[in-house]
Amino acid sequence: MKLIISQMPVVLESLNIGFLQTLKLFFVTLLGGFPLGLVMAFGSMSKFKPLSAITKLVIWFFRGTPLMIQLLIIYYFPGLVLGNPVWGGGEAGRFAAASLSFILNYSCYFSEIYRGGIQSVPIGQEEAGLVLGMTKGQIFFKVKLLQMIKHIVPPMSNEIITLVKDTSLARIIALQEIIWAGQSFMKGSKGISGAIWPMFFTAFYYLIFNGIMTVILSKLEKKLEFFR
Amino acid sequence: MKKLLAFLLTGAMALGLAACGSSSKGSADGSAQSDSEYVKANGKLVVGITDFAPMDYQGSDGEWIGFDADMAREFAKSLGVDVEFVEIEWDNKILELDGKTIDCVWNGMTLTDEVKSAMETSVPYCNNAQVVIVKADAAGNYSTVDSIKSLRFAVEAGSAGEEQLKELGITDYTAVTSQANALMEVEAGTSDAAVIDSLMAAAMVGEGTGYADLTYTVALNSEEYGVGFRKGSDLAGLLNDFFKKAAKDAFLEETAKKYGVQAALVEFK
Repeated sequence: MKLIISQMPVVLESLNIGFLQTLKLFFVTLLGGFPLGLVMAFGSMSKFKPLSAITKLVIWFFRGTPLMIQLLIIYYFPGLVLGNPVWGGGEAGRFAAASLSFILNYSCYFSEIYRGGIQSVPIGQEEAGLVLGMTKGQIFFKVKLLQMIKHIVPPMSNEIITLVKDTSLARIIALQEIIWAGQSFMKGSKGISGAIWPMFFTAFYYLIFNGIMTVILSKLEKKLEFFR
Repeated sequence: MKKLLAFLLTGAMALGLAACGSSSKGSADGSAQSDSEYVKANGKLVVGITDFAPMDYQGSDGEWIGFDADMAREFAKSLGVDVEFVEIEWDNKILELDGKTIDCVWNGMTLTDEVKSAMETSVPYCNNAQVVIVKADAAGNYSTVDSIKSLRFAVEAGSAGEEQLKELGITDYTAVTSQANALMEVEAGTSDAAVIDSLMAAAMVGEGTGYADLTYTVALNSEEYGVGFRKGSDLAGLLNDFFKKAAKDAFLEETAKKYGVQAALVEFK
């Protein structure tokens, strides 16, 4: 116990740096995944067959293969197959490659949630809008959008919480997120070697952050309760 | 309106695919270049490492130091390029090399047959051994090679330690992802023993370390550390010349003394 307390300041500093990396990946994924998911939802619902076929193929690939493999492919393929390591070896390149993988992967899941949300709005509302002379765009933004958001909050919450934990997969391409930081003390880092507890301690970071996310998301759900 | 949007999206996707295609053409002229020319054109030597005292580790200012790190820095200087240290996932070292995200693996790497066949390696520069780690209170029972055969082992997958176990005819071991995980297995009692590098064991196991109740007993073999480059790279030859020169002007020995590895140093003639 005494040993742990003496190691605490060094370990916490390292874990904080790692968790910052985790959070960066988390927010970048949401920022890129929300809009891209919406675009893909429209793509997969399009009446233009080639577009919906391509979108569905992309969704099939990204949902059908492990995220870990996607990370490896996106980071290593440019150098291995094309002979041009576009990402570079540095930390920024690893982060960019991880971000791209996560955004692509998660926007596929998001797009299916969006699609469900959009299609759950009764067709009668669209017909009513058309009768009133609204354009398709007006119908989507003024009638359907808010109802869609209300419907997708619970499944989105699920994905968001999963995403927080999935960021740990990025360590496969040596992105130094919090679990990487915690594990580094097992082997030896910053003068501490053979310390197992930091790795287990990382769980608290996830737990607390997911607690905060859960509170925020259920607040949002409550706010949207003013209509059915 | 909708048709237009659909066309635009299809166009964007096609463009994305085309962009992938064009980047492959750019590399065609690059393949004729030798590896040292490639590194010089980049202006930096990217060194793949893991946090591994006393070979590569971070000093209090966050700078990478250690016997290997200091040598890599000096070698890059001799090439006239900067050095960049990148921490990698050890399992992916060959992927990193071939994918050109790093230029060499310089991290107390044991020259196993696998390493030699997948990489262009330098001459050995350090001696090492694989040692057996057990709980200190049981160490007395396991002082010979025969006595350890009944133990349940944990060993890093693809490591020199795993090769040694196979050579002893021990097949029923647990392969884990790192030497540190192997130690944790022994500490937690989920395995009886681990096989790791002696240089690492000296730094991590025994009194005054995080694994105070573990100790190392039998040395299974002796082996050597080397530096790995991409297959066919001319940098390995350049590094061999660099090592010879560094041995001659005593830089090699002085650096080794600084990090306490002089006993393991290979003699360059």
